[in-house]
Amino acid sequence: MNTTPSSLVELRDAVRDLPGPLVATGAGTASDWGGALVGDATGVSVTGLTGVITHNPGDMTVSVGAGTPLSDLQDTLAAAGQRVALDAARARRGATVGGLFATADAGPLALGFGSLRDLVIGVTVVLADGTVARSGGHVIKNVAGYDLAKLLHGAYGTFGVVAEIVLRLHPRPSATRTVALPLADVGGLPAAGRAVTDTPVEAAALEWVDGRLLALLEGTEAGVEARASRLVDLLGQGAEVLAPADADAAWVAHHDAVDRRPEDRAVVRVGVAPTRLGDLLTGLVADAGAADVTAAPATGVATLTVPADAAAVDAVHTRVAALGGTSTLRARPAGADVPAWGPTPTSAAVLRSVAAAFDPDQRLGRGRLAPWLPVPEGASA
Amino acid sequence: MSTTTTAASSTAALAPVLAREFAALLPENCVITDEVGLRSYECDGLTGFRQVPAVVVLPRDTAEVAACVAVCARHGVPFVARGAGTGLSGGALPVADGVVISLQKLRRILEIDVENRRAVLEPGVFNLDISRAAAPHGLYYAPDPSSQQVCTIGGNVAENSGGAHCLKYGFTTNHVLEMEVVLADGSVVTVGAPTAEQAGPDLRGLFLGSEGTLGICTKVTVRLLRKPEAVRTVLADFPSIEAAGDTVGAIVDASIVPAAVEMMDSLAMEAAEAAVGAGYTVESPSALIIELDGPAEECDEQFAEITRICEEHGSTRIHVADSADERARVWKGRKAAFAAVGRISPDYIVQDGVVPRTRLAEVLSQIASMGSEVGLRVANVFHAGDGNLHPLVLYSEAAGEHEKAEDLSSRIAELCVELGGSLSGEHGIGADKACSMGRMFTDDDLAVMQRVRTGFDPAGLCNPGKIFPTPRLCGERPGPFRPHPLEEAGVISRL
Repeated sequence: MNTTPSSLVELRDAVRDLPGPLVATGAGTASDWGGALVGDATGVSVTGLTGVITHNPGDMTVSVGAGTPLSDLQDTLAAAGQRVALDAARARRGATVGGLFATADAGPLALGFGSLRDLVIGVTVVLADGTVARSGGHVIKNVAGYDLAKLLHGAYGTFGVVAEIVLRLHPRPSATRTVALPLADVGGLPAAGRAVTDTPVEAAALEWVDGRLLALLEGTEAGVEARASRLVDLLGQGAEVLAPADADAAWVAHHDAVDRRPEDRAVVRVGVAPTRLGDLLTGLVADAGAADVTAAPATGVATLTVPADAAAVDAVHTRVAALGGTSTLRARPAGADVPAWGPTPTSAAVLRSVAAAFDPDQRLGRGRLAPWLPVPEGASA
Repeated sequence: MSTTTTAASSTAALAPVLAREFAALLPENCVITDEVGLRSYECDGLTGFRQVPAVVVLPRDTAEVAACVAVCARHGVPFVARGAGTGLSGGALPVADGVVISLQKLRRILEIDVENRRAVLEPGVFNLDISRAAAPHGLYYAPDPSSQQVCTIGGNVAENSGGAHCLKYGFTTNHVLEMEVVLADGSVVTVGAPTAEQAGPDLRGLFLGSEGTLGICTKVTVRLLRKPEAVRTVLADFPSIEAAGDTVGAIVDASIVPAAVEMMDSLAMEAAEAAVGAGYTVESPSALIIELDGPAEECDEQFAEITRICEEHGSTRIHVADSADERARVWKGRKAAFAAVGRISPDYIVQDGVVPRTRLAEVLSQIASMGSEVGLRVANVFHAGDGNLHPLVLYSEAAGEHEKAEDLSSRIAELCVELGGSLSGEHGIGADKACSMGRMFTDDDLAVMQRVRTGFDPAGLCNPGKIFPTPRLCGERPGPFRPHPLEEAGVISRL
């Protein structure tokens, strides 16, 4: 008996009045990310809350229903020469703004623009008891009150159901270039990454996939042309500016790699300090069964697959944590019982007490943040 | 906030007990109980709000901060963390009979990690010192509040500080990766991670900008950026505020994101010019300072475009600051404008509000008529790129205009909210604007924020009386604005 409210009021009523555990759903592109749901939960879909609520091109802000597919939003904004500076791979599969926000997803542009937590300026949320609250607003600069949006970013639908999101926008670049540098060995990633970031060309994205490091330059036609030539000169050793069609294909291949959903392997997203990325990935590939690696050497983020068993995934979490990094389960084969999160952080005590204040019975997304947010006793599947 | 009231009223007699317990934890010179010593902590940069605390402690590391907080928790005594005390919203205002925990002894730069572009800092490190320490490596810390010479990173964390260049580079929240935090029960936790990728709900982001009400940050890891290859700065005069505002709109329409766009009106320029001699045209109704940075090719190209846009919009004078010295001079005038207003008015009140950028002309015209109605002048200096206004209400205390000026200033902030903006863009709510929060947020919004607070600090001991409206606070009227001593000396400004 899943439900799809078509307004904020209907959403509030549904969350408040439906009995038992609930799970907020969107396009379903990441339903197997993070912790597995525990027990039966009624689905509350936000896909009825779609579309632009207000777009102020001159202020570079937009507010949208959480169920709005990002790709639809980008199409709308493109008409005004603007964009949400977020290029998460699964947007191609129809991922909603709310879903991308709840799962803290981001794509290559995170190097230049951060993730949605850096772009969100306001949020409207429905709590488990039906309370509707808003924080932030419609202006980019605003320090009034707590920034509740941050608590909800990466919360996987716990704490509240996000109904509306206000985002800051950026201009669409009038031109782009992609410079490719062959790089066979993941161990060489930190040095190759620094070779790019130590130049003044300011790449908007820097990603390693299929044995090449791709640097995306955004700007004016003359600007990116000059910067791309400069970068090729500075890098030497086989660096080249890709032809437009080749560049497009290279980035599609990157999205394919990040967004792959193998039938027998788990996908894990990891992040460490950039200098540690090479050794981490080398080790994971050599003796932890990791494969299908894509990596962003300047941010220290990588996506990889490992065998879909608990020990293999846990090994990734443990190794990353030992390096001071973070890791999250991104996808898993149906039924695979693998740990979603790394070692419980010291801040889990706060997470739990705030969760108790927001959703004392843990009705929303039960299990998604376990064991950081433990499933209440007697609620196991 | 009944907990707070109870705690405060019962703690007066506790002062000697607290002092003894703190003395057992800290060296003698790190516990202040004498009247003169305490008085220097009675206010922050918002000098109209004053309250002498019962005890001031100056712990030297995280363990000592945690031990001091544990003492407060055990006795149910409220405490207020304090950095350099440059805040402009009374965020570090002490609580009656409470404890002030000064972080000025935690001032080490623990690490500059050049390869990973990170700095690990204690909270008492001055903002500008981060960039100074990073400079030999071609790196800098981006958020640049105008008080950056004297404000601390811990205070920046509490206020989510911005600065002129946050238009392009974002605020403190966009640059902090990880924090060590002492919670209100004395426990120590880490929020965030020293990596770009973070897992789970962003408690780090929630803590940033919480104005000291969720805990005390004792260590912070920030991102460092590579210094841009080129910087171009122009000062352009305009025949009207509207023309300057339209120019900013045209820059946005041209898909250019400048590093900074600042606007001044003639009153503000008159004051700044008198103080600093920055080369402003005092008879011009308005001027923009526009700064671009980035790779040289693109910077030059966009700079030419901006110059063309300024000319198209009737700029009466375009002055390119083409050396680092000249650029510094233009910025010095801008940063000094606030304190300089003291030269053209005996007293003034600083306001900080935000409107959607497209409503700048509208809000300025309404501010002008509101000022004329009550017979007060308002000078305007602001971050035009993001709609963050800093109206300066000029008045004379001696002429009995204080109440009128306070009223005008509050109405301006509330007007910003009515126009779809915010009560504060960077100075914070603190004690100053807590009573206006109901204009911007519903009771439910505020109650949900209170749930966050309860989750972090169930007893309400951590900087009570800030952000949230309380009867005690809202019953009081602040005294007249008095500039911070460093501001009078021209070292810092309020913008």
